[in-house]
Amino acid sequence: MSELSGRWIKDQIIPYLSPALKNILFELKEEYYSILEEIRLRCGKPLILKLGNKDYTVDCRGRVIEDLKKGYQVNREDIYRTVASISDSSLYAFEEEIRRGFITVPGGYRVGLAGQIVMQGDEIKTITDFSGICFRVAREIKDCAKPLVPYIYSSGTILNTLIISPPRCGKTTILRDLARIFSTGVHRSHSVNVVVVDERSEIAGSFRGIPQLDVGPRTDVLDSCPKAAGMIMAIRALSPQLIITDEIGRREDVEAILECVNAGVSVISSIHARDLNELEKRPLFGELLRTGAFRIGVVISRREGPGTLEEIIRWD
Amino acid sequence: MFAKVLGTAFIMAGFGGWGLLGARRIEKRVEQIKNVRLAMGFLEKEITYMHTPLSRALERTAKFCKPPVSHLFRESADRLKAKNGSTACEAWMSGIKVIGKTSELKRSDIEILTAIAPQLGMSDAGEQRKIFTLIQEELRIQEESALQEMESGRKLWSYGGFILGALVVILLL
Repeated sequence: MSELSGRWIKDQIIPYLSPALKNILFELKEEYYSILEEIRLRCGKPLILKLGNKDYTVDCRGRVIEDLKKGYQVNREDIYRTVASISDSSLYAFEEEIRRGFITVPGGYRVGLAGQIVMQGDEIKTITDFSGICFRVAREIKDCAKPLVPYIYSSGTILNTLIISPPRCGKTTILRDLARIFSTGVHRSHSVNVVVVDERSEIAGSFRGIPQLDVGPRTDVLDSCPKAAGMIMAIRALSPQLIITDEIGRREDVEAILECVNAGVSVISSIHARDLNELEKRPLFGELLRTGAFRIGVVISRREGPGTLEEIIRWD
Repeated sequence: MFAKVLGTAFIMAGFGGWGLLGARRIEKRVEQIKNVRLAMGFLEKEITYMHTPLSRALERTAKFCKPPVSHLFRESADRLKAKNGSTACEAWMSGIKVIGKTSELKRSDIEILTAIAPQLGMSDAGEQRKIFTLIQEELRIQEESALQEMESGRKLWSYGGFILGALVVILLL
């Protein structure tokens, strides 16, 4: 997969950090930003940058080092100021996002939050006393899914496809690119209406309902919408030809997929599993595969970097 | 003789004017506390019902109220919009500094406004509502006590200035 410009990522993320962290990370070379996957702030612990597959820290002079003990220690003020900055000092405006554990900032970057969880009955009401923040860099890599298109798109039909991989292998990036490709049109006249049911705001990286990442001109996004309800709502209201959703996992998701498939709508989704064997061992998904709802399985890994195509499985 | 009359008139007008200004200051304080209270109600609605981001909510509140109360909200909004790492608390405190210099509010009034600073914007809408209800209630009490002060103080200042002027004239004569 190709990589986003380091400068772009630097300009997008740095303004959200506390002034002390800003000063340190501003000194960092752009080449580090181009392979940056995560920035983790934990109260009283060293600042951690995930560069590629490895964790590093940064010392007070902005040097990237491996020894975490020598790294800059994040303090409560860093956390408080960073939370204030990402929320524009308006936590009340992000209640729903905080309840789900993350805030998406302009640019589509997801900021995960940790802290004291306040419950109301059986449900999470909010998070207070923030203790940890995780910036995940959203990778928009155009055409990364192009090699998959000949398998998924056959004689004018988009085949129902399941992308199988463990976490952090590039599933979401591939789904986003597939949405863009099919929405724009594989060939000039073969564009379709796409609905992205984006339960965790990761595919389209929506900020206040507006997709921040390119999902194509004929794509509607149901942001923060539960997958099962979103798929049914999309069929009724938005007449899609293709529905794309991330990380199916519950029985209602499986039922909604069957509903879509039997309504003549193509579905592309992803699921966590190392390979097909592992997936078949899970009773719910073994059952789903046996229904023949999905025609193509795509197994990806990180063997040669995120998005390494391991296997294409045909179920027809 | 003419110089004496002129001098007396100047002294009386000077002290009288000073007294009247003092009386006006007391009146203005009541008016400004009321304006702050109404502005707080407006800001509360922006935050709890509209969920408007704080910098924009403060900006809109500044447009809603009259100077010098608007200076508090304008300065806080500008500081937040500058995106220079300031928290809502720091932005609010900078607004309070400005209103402290440009208004007739007393230290006790300013203290009520200062109390809200650490919590401003940094909790959910329910919590924010509680904070705003409390501060508006405190401002209402402050307004009532300022009104009582005004009732007695206004006469004292307006007549007091002229009486003091007359006393000075008598002493000089």
